[in-house]
Amino acid sequence: MKNAIDPFTVEVIRHALTAAAEEMSFVVMRSARSPLLREAGDLSSAITDHKGDLIAQGRDIPIHLGVMSFTVKKFLERVPAERLKAGDVWFLNLPEVGGNHLPDVKAIRPIFLEGRLFAFAVSLAHWGDIGGAWAGSYFAAATETWQEGVRIPPLRLCTAEGIDEEKCSFLLANLRGPAEREGDLLAQIAATRAADGRLQRLCEEHGAATIRAALDRLDDLSEAQMREAIAGLPDGTYDGEDFLDDDGPGGKPAAIRVRIEIKGEHASFDFSATDDAVAGPLNTTPFVAMAAVYYAIKAVAGPEIQPNGGCYRALDVRTRPGSILDPGIDKPVVGGNHETSQRAVDAIMKAFAQAVPERLTAGGSTTAGLLIFGGTRRDGATGTFYETHGGGEGARADRDGTPVVRVHLTNTMNTPAEIVEAEYRIHVEEQRLRRGSGGAGKHRGGEGMIRTYTVLGEGLTLTTMFERRVVPPYGLQGGKSGAPFRVTLHRNGESRELLGKENLALVVGDRVVMETSGGGGYGEA
Amino acid sequence: MPDSGWQVGIDIGGTFTDLVALKPTTGELRSIKVPTQRNDPVASIKAALAAAGLTAVEVGDLVHGTTLVTNAIVEDRVEPVVLIATQGFEDVLDIGRAGRQHLYRLDLPPRRAAQVPPERRIGLAERVDYAGKVMQTADATAIADAVGRAAASGVESVAVSLMHSYANPAHERAIGSALKAAVPFVSLSHEVNPETREFERTATTVLNASVMPIAARYLDRLQREIQGASLHVMHSAGGMASPEAAAHRPLAMALSGPAAGVSAAQHIAASLGLGKVLSFDMGGTTTDVCLVVNGAAEISTDSKLAGRPVRQPMVAIESIGAGGGSLVNLSTGGLSIGPESAGAEPGPAAYGRGGTRPTVTDANAVLGYLDPKRRLGGAIALDVGAAEAALAPLAKRLGVGIVELALGVQRVANATMVRALARVTVERGVDGRQCTLLAFGGAGPMHAAHLAREFGIAEIVVPRFSSAFSALGCIVADMSYTQQQAVRMLSTHWDAARFASLHDGMLGTLMEPLQRHGHGPDDITVERTALVRYVGQSYAVEVPFAAPLDLEVLGRDFRKRHREIYGYATEEHWEMQSLRLRALVARRTKLGPLHASDGEPKPTSVRLCWFEPSAPHQTPRFDRDRLPSGTRIAGPAIVEDAWSTIVVPPGYTLSSDAMGHLWIREGKK
Repeated sequence: MKNAIDPFTVEVIRHALTAAAEEMSFVVMRSARSPLLREAGDLSSAITDHKGDLIAQGRDIPIHLGVMSFTVKKFLERVPAERLKAGDVWFLNLPEVGGNHLPDVKAIRPIFLEGRLFAFAVSLAHWGDIGGAWAGSYFAAATETWQEGVRIPPLRLCTAEGIDEEKCSFLLANLRGPAEREGDLLAQIAATRAADGRLQRLCEEHGAATIRAALDRLDDLSEAQMREAIAGLPDGTYDGEDFLDDDGPGGKPAAIRVRIEIKGEHASFDFSATDDAVAGPLNTTPFVAMAAVYYAIKAVAGPEIQPNGGCYRALDVRTRPGSILDPGIDKPVVGGNHETSQRAVDAIMKAFAQAVPERLTAGGSTTAGLLIFGGTRRDGATGTFYETHGGGEGARADRDGTPVVRVHLTNTMNTPAEIVEAEYRIHVEEQRLRRGSGGAGKHRGGEGMIRTYTVLGEGLTLTTMFERRVVPPYGLQGGKSGAPFRVTLHRNGESRELLGKENLALVVGDRVVMETSGGGGYGEA
Repeated sequence: MPDSGWQVGIDIGGTFTDLVALKPTTGELRSIKVPTQRNDPVASIKAALAAAGLTAVEVGDLVHGTTLVTNAIVEDRVEPVVLIATQGFEDVLDIGRAGRQHLYRLDLPPRRAAQVPPERRIGLAERVDYAGKVMQTADATAIADAVGRAAASGVESVAVSLMHSYANPAHERAIGSALKAAVPFVSLSHEVNPETREFERTATTVLNASVMPIAARYLDRLQREIQGASLHVMHSAGGMASPEAAAHRPLAMALSGPAAGVSAAQHIAASLGLGKVLSFDMGGTTTDVCLVVNGAAEISTDSKLAGRPVRQPMVAIESIGAGGGSLVNLSTGGLSIGPESAGAEPGPAAYGRGGTRPTVTDANAVLGYLDPKRRLGGAIALDVGAAEAALAPLAKRLGVGIVELALGVQRVANATMVRALARVTVERGVDGRQCTLLAFGGAGPMHAAHLAREFGIAEIVVPRFSSAFSALGCIVADMSYTQQQAVRMLSTHWDAARFASLHDGMLGTLMEPLQRHGHGPDDITVERTALVRYVGQSYAVEVPFAAPLDLEVLGRDFRKRHREIYGYATEEHWEMQSLRLRALVARRTKLGPLHASDGEPKPTSVRLCWFEPSAPHQTPRFDRDRLPSGTRIAGPAIVEDAWSTIVVPPGYTLSSDAMGHLWIREGKK
């Protein structure tokens, strides 16, 4: 063994670190205020080492996994380690600083063991509003990042002395629903404090040097697992492409292209042939492209691999500056986080279909299917109702797809109709399976669903952010496509199909019918 | 409770059925273990009674913990159900919460299929809003039509779950009374689980309906065959219920067996005056841990069983898939324990029944903790050679000695359990290091000291009857009923009259079965818990309160608990999400002192045991049944009874008290 540490101590430390990250997620999930956190669990917790390499993760939201592997590294490029002090908590949301989109706010706490910087606790949470042109901060017509909300560079909001009230109130003054946001912020600070406490105890028991040795060993183990998994894939070059429905404000489909090269224990993913950055908020960051790769390789080759820095040493990911996946800092990105990332996964899956189709599912409802109702809640407070909608899973070689489920990069849950009706001025008329929406095949794609919302209160707004309206979920091996997404607005006896990226004002009596896409079929029927 | 006759507790487990019986007039205690008769729990009960030398007429109360409902659900042997739902929401079980279990496993189905197939879903045209206001009345024709279709399906059991029925159950009641004339079993969602979130409420109601016929048949047969005794069953919240109540809501028995163990833990904690206790029940394939504060177990109302939501009040047991029979795996990713297990057959290699893959028990055998000369329960002989052979390939691959590996396996197994202990304490804002570890079950007492050291716990109790602890729990359990109901009231818009009417209505429902049993208001204790959160949060904090409710005090207690659990609190206003009431009649079972022998403890043998890799220790072994009370033994030492082994490592001291409990503490105390 190359590390002077026994394999049992490694395991003991691994369990302790994972428990620490899980405790962070517990604090945020249970006590934060943003609806996405509480019902849907759109949050992640990570512990990185002093350089920013991932050590442990709590709730494993795949889309955040790749991103958080870079957050601290990029943060350290802006804030040198000498400036960090015990008790600090830094907040940031810049997409270019190891980020994804403005609503995902990261809280970073440096952790000092035996007087030296040893690790960082990172709590990422999707805030229900981050300011900008439209309630909920998904501005469909955005053409630049500044329209999307408040941009927070690394900002020391908390020190050992406590919260910096001035900075905090400056930030909150720029957001809708400041009371809720303050709750989110406090939850994130508390989560990182909990992780600090766990690490201090671990250090008392084992000492920093032993923990460091265990981390090195865990990195090596994950790297070995990943290399073993890649070696199990047939060598070759595989091309895949998938299309965004449009560039944002309703233009033409835009292509995400990947070339995968498997060579022994090494895999490279080259997205250079992807289209140029689009005008609207469907661009995303290279970190999100990495997240797509990390998810896809795990799903296809090694689902049980421990996520940490070592995991990714065998992978090489390239994006082209100026493309959708590496657009430059001025471009809007809010939808790219959960839409374009899924396009990247679909492109990778289509490429792998040439190598290992038996391991894959056909195309599924790979979109957040997001509707945001802005306005005031029943209790009079400002509150956005942020709802993602699941559809059918793609079929596989050995089974039908599952109805109404989140697939690939996302795993948020729906908000029960009873909660929607109790908290917001919205009535849910029906919620049923969209029968016949799954693609035909030897095995059928899963069914999507229908949910109909009726507007009861004045002054509500609606934002849509979804894909698969134009380009349907694909079939595999001769299976048929699933039915595409469709959102229809019924007003005064007339109806109109809504675009995938829109902001509009609603009036009392409006009915919004959401029909989610079915999964693709697998094999010829 | 009548004072005459034996108080009998019976716990039917997968392999053995345990009985503990107490004669209150004399204090005489009996304890027996018999093999469980597969698929015939009634026969197992009769066999246990016979083995204990008891006839039905001698039995006063018979309380039993059963896995009947649990097994039916886990093994998917439930009965078919018709679901009547609000029109437009018939597919609620397919849609669920749309999440998936396995993030990266494309090969596994993301979740279990809906329990009710489309042809057994009936939509009823009706609608009540979130505040209970009727938006569309369920007319008589529609009800008659739905009932007719349900009856025509030929299915015995019908579940009714209508939108917002917790706020206004009128429509469910109307269809429920019409159904009672048409089908044998009816489950109404506002009775089973009067809380918000339509999927979880419906799934819980359907699951209850699907086990109703099974529970009714079983309880009926049991009552006929043990005529004379007063029969009760353990429910998941750690109390006992009448057979009628259990038949009406069988899902409340989903955790019957494990809850009996927690009931015993509550009793021991209270009788020993222990403020914070972690119960640690390590068996062959799983380990259950539960936090008991001031003699009361924490309750959870949002659990899952075999992937299906079970929103019933249950003792908050954290169960992990690691036990004595768990397999030790070594892959590229490192060393791990479980969840795969060697099972009852062939079992660990050390049991000499053909097992060849290494388990945690094999590691314990190699370390010398298990005596090869003794037979486990008089039946299983230990084969240390087979245990060594099973571990040898792993030791070779890791480049370590076999003892080093065995000690390592112990540490890793304990590390997985430390995580479970951390979860149940951290999530309730308790510092686990201040708890006493209460160790029971087959393997609990063997791992307790090492586990306690790993977690930072200073004090361990291995209680009397530690190998039949759930059966003990049955004879000490209070008779209790628990209900939780949605309230949803803001502190700023408090409607005292509505709250009072909700509270009193629930209380009436809970008192009814107790009063029917002959208990007056003076016998009955009521415990009240408010589930409170800040507006915007989804998870509530449990805040106990006394009647009459004082909003100021509740708000202050809420902020205090919030700070304890999450590390911060704000002055925002709050909301009462739900109210939980528990009505109980204390059983007041008293165990007498143990009639232990006097004098010095005498070792039965001395063997080499390993506690660290450098050298083994000459370790004396003692027979638990012959241990004098008030004795002190310095570790290393091993104490054995017929069913379990208690390990006292070097640096620890074991002492026995007059009640027969064994205490293990670090140092020489």
